[in-house]
Parts: sequence; structure tokens; C-alpha cells
Amino acid sequence: MSDHDGTSFGLPSAEQLKSDLIWDSYFLPSYRDFEGDMKRSQRAIEIGNIEKLCYFAHVGIGTTTDAAFEKSRRETPDLISAPLKRWPEKLLGMIHLNANDVSASLDALNHWIRDGQMLGVYFAGGGPGSLPCTHKNFNPLIERIAELKAVIMQHTWHVTGGKTSPGHSLPSELAELAARFPEQQFICAHAGGEWEKGICAVRDSPNILVETSGFDATAGFIEMAMRELGPERIVFGSHLPSRSLGTELGKIVGANIPDEARKLILGGNFRRLLRRE
Amino acid sequence: MKRRTLIQSAIATGTVATLSPSAWANETELNIIDTNVSLSRWPFRRLPLDDTQQLAAKLRKLGITTALAGSFEGILQRDISSVNDRLVSECAGFSELIPVGSINPNLHGWEDNLKQCIGDHAMRGIRLHPNYHGYELNNPRFLKLLNLAADAKLFVQIAAVFEDVRTQPDQLRVADVDLTPLIENHVGRIQILNWRPRGELVEKLASIPNIHFDVSRVDQTNGVAAMLKTIPESRVMFGTHAPFLIPEASLIRVHESDLPDSSLSLLMNKNAKTFLTG
Repeated sequence: MSDHDGTSFGLPSAEQLKSDLIWDSYFLPSYRDFEGDMKRSQRAIEIGNIEKLCYFAHVGIGTTTDAAFEKSRRETPDLISAPLKRWPEKLLGMIHLNANDVSASLDALNHWIRDGQMLGVYFAGGGPGSLPCTHKNFNPLIERIAELKAVIMQHTWHVTGGKTSPGHSLPSELAELAARFPEQQFICAHAGGEWEKGICAVRDSPNILVETSGFDATAGFIEMAMRELGPERIVFGSHLPSRSLGTELGKIVGANIPDEARKLILGGNFRRLLRRE
Repeated sequence: MKRRTLIQSAIATGTVATLSPSAWANETELNIIDTNVSLSRWPFRRLPLDDTQQLAAKLRKLGITTALAGSFEGILQRDISSVNDRLVSECAGFSELIPVGSINPNLHGWEDNLKQCIGDHAMRGIRLHPNYHGYELNNPRFLKLLNLAADAKLFVQIAAVFEDVRTQPDQLRVADVDLTPLIENHVGRIQILNWRPRGELVEKLASIPNIHFDVSRVDQTNGVAAMLKTIPESRVMFGTHAPFLIPEASLIRVHESDLPDSSLSLLMNKNAKTFLTG
């Protein structure tokens, strides 16, 4: 007799997924082919019943190495928010900040978050806009972000063998930054990649949540994060389309955790951050 | 619309995507064969499914009816004979688990270990870890091993990677296996495990009819479908790399690749069946 539990290829039922109200905090369509990557992700979004996905817009302040792209965004800002207009029911947006250009980043915060629809910021781990997050340039930016009550997603990876670029940030560095701004919530993207070290590095920083995407579906991650951080400090990310629904949603639905914890991780915690008063 | 209005509106409406109907009736009818699981304990971490009873129960729940099981112990331990004894003994309690012996051709007596796999244990295949065992795929002992395995009609699985190099322990780092020499040296039935196909090497290996692949670490949302465009679909087999990886991950990834039924059947069952029987 089969013990098969009625899931569909590892996925819970559509009813369960719908009731989980999944909000993806880390959607990664390419800025060069946003539309194509939306299309490429469509199947995963549908079978995963992902209600909303948050992407990170480049806003023409030097966060890419593509000069023509940067120029086009400066000259035609409507291009930046075009995805939100095209898929208003599906997408949420945050903006890339350039930690090397504080002035332009402060202007972008006012334009896109204070006066616009963007909900938070992304600090990359590489590229021309990146700096280690302990750098003093972060101070005025975080102060303004806190005033605007916006969400902060900081890319982190603890790579065996050491940092891979000058702008690379470690979870331990994020913990250092978070200690300077105890009232501000931070999301530690990828939980540091090597999550055993990442979780330990941020464990004593109650204002840091870990995001779940960006590394193989290594077993035991969610269980350790639940044990060390609690379900309220874990935020689901899909990393679509460069990672898969299998890898990223699989981490959560394959973990042996209570229903309420799963709902918090898959959307509840991110929604809580987004509606901070 | 201002930011706060947008959030409130989104939360209030709670828009839900429509689920597209699955192309597949029921995976239980597929009799899924997982070509890539491991028993015993991963040396660096306890895993939620590293108890065979729990692993087997999970596989059954996911509709996996057969699994090729290697041993984590075969990666670092040097008493390979006892590693394989324990593996066979563990698999004996689970009809769905097929033991796949470990061989380290850099250890004295490896040929005896191979004979035990063939004679004493009647195994159908062996699994190699060239990066952990410290040899390249043009090593003469490796070539001899391939030939002996082929003579005995054993399949050979080569774990090209076990863990992402970026997350390995600082003091025990191993590079991914360089598969390039396989282009010249590829006797018998070979399956490459845990590889993420990329670069020109994929096409070269794809052109060699006796080299097979698994999908356990293939990523990107359309990764499996893209792989099947590059590699003949008769030579790609389902694998989870459980319990190191969460088994649901590979299954969901196949699901999201939205393969036609004929390709699905090959990937999940028929190719492995053919591979197993030689």
C-alpha cells in the first residue's frame, strides 16, 4: 500500500499554499530583461501560489555597470516604476541604493519611498554600489530609511575562503550595523549562505531577520533558524528565476515545522515589516 | 498611489494567483526512481532525514518507490569494506533501497573492495567521490576501475560535487570534480551526480552516449527543461541528493519545468530502469 501523502510533486495542496498567503521578499528578474524573466517565472509563481513578489529596482544612481541603462533610468524615471504599473496586483518594489554615493541615495529615498511606491531598499553584495555594511556611509542612509519606516534587505554571504568582492558583507557585519540602529529592522539576505555561521552571527540581534534564498536546499536550515531565531525572524525569498521554486519553496514546505510558523515565514513576517507604523 | 496606500490595498485585497491545472495525473503512477540518496551520517551536520527509517518514509510519502543509496561514510572513511557491509545491511530492511557501494581507488585493496561489491553483495553499481578521495579522472587507477566495473556490468556514479564549495568547512574544502577527462575516458555505464551543467563541457559530455546525469542540483526555474534541451532526454535521471538536500526541492523543480508526459516518464522512471538493468 502506498504511503503517498497526496502532495503534488513535493508541493502541498493548492488550498494550503493559498491559505499560506505567500509573499516573496526576494524576486530577482534581470533589469535587462524584466519582461522575459517575468514570463520565465510565471509557471513557478502559479504552481507555488505566490501572491506577491518583491523586486529590487535600479534607479539610475550607479548601481550597475551598464552606462546606457543608468542613463536611461535617469532620463526616463517612469521606466523604473513601469513593472509596478504593468503588474500592480503581483509586484512590490524596493530600490537599490548606492552606498558609495550617499547624496544620490538620499535623493532616491525621498523620490522613490517618501514620494513614491517603493517599500524599502536593497544593499547589494557586489557591483559599483556596494560597500561592506559597516562602512560609515551607511549611517546617514539608515537614519533616513528609519525615518521613512522602510524595509532594508542587505545581501550577505559567508563564503568559505573569504570575501569575494570589496563590497561584500558578512552576517556578522550586519549584526554590527544593526546594533547601531536597534529600532530599525534589517533582513539578512540569504542568511549568510553558509547558514550555520550566518544564523549564529545574527542570533543576538533581535532586529535582524534572515531571508531564506540563494543557496542549495540544504536540509536542516529552517529547523536551525526556528530553534535559534524563532519563526518570527525568518522571511521567505524565491530568488526566481535564477534559482527555482523547488530549491527555495522546498526549503520551507519540506521542513518539519508547525503550520503557524510556515505561514509566518512564507508571508506573515514580510507583511509585518512592510506595514510598520 | 503612495506607499502606505499601496500596502494597505495589497493586504486588504489579498490577491491570489489562479492555480494552473497540473499536466500530470498522479506521480504515484510514475513509480519514481531516485538515483541519488545517501545513508548514514553526513560528517559535518546532523540532517533531519539521516535516519534510514525516516528517509524511507519520506521518500514513500513523495511517491518515490525506488532509490539508489550510497553512503556518507564512503566519503571520508578508509575502511571501505565495513562501510559497504553496513550499507548493505541497512538497505536490507527497506525493499525500496538499492545499495550502491563506495570505492576509493586511492586506497590499497580497492580491487578487493570492488570484488566484495560484485561478489559478496551482488551490487548493481558503485559511487565514486574523486574530489574527496584525491584523484583526477585521468588517473590510471580510475580508468582501471571503470574497466573492471564495466566488465562486471556495474554502473558507476561519479559525485561531481557533494556540497557547494562556498559552504564547505574551512579546514576541509574540496573543489568540484573536473569532468573534462571523461570526454576521453568513459567506459561502461556512468552517471554524473550533483552537477550543475554549464559551459561547453555540457555539450561535449552530452554527445557521449554512455554518460548519464541527474537533476538534483540543477537550478533556475526552467533548469530541468533547459537541461533536456541540451542533453538527450534518455540520459537524464531524477535524483534528490537526499537527505543532504531536501527531497521536495528536486521534485518541485521538475514540476515547475512543466515537461510533457513522455519526457516526465523517462526522467522519473524509465531512464533509471534502463540504466539499472544495463
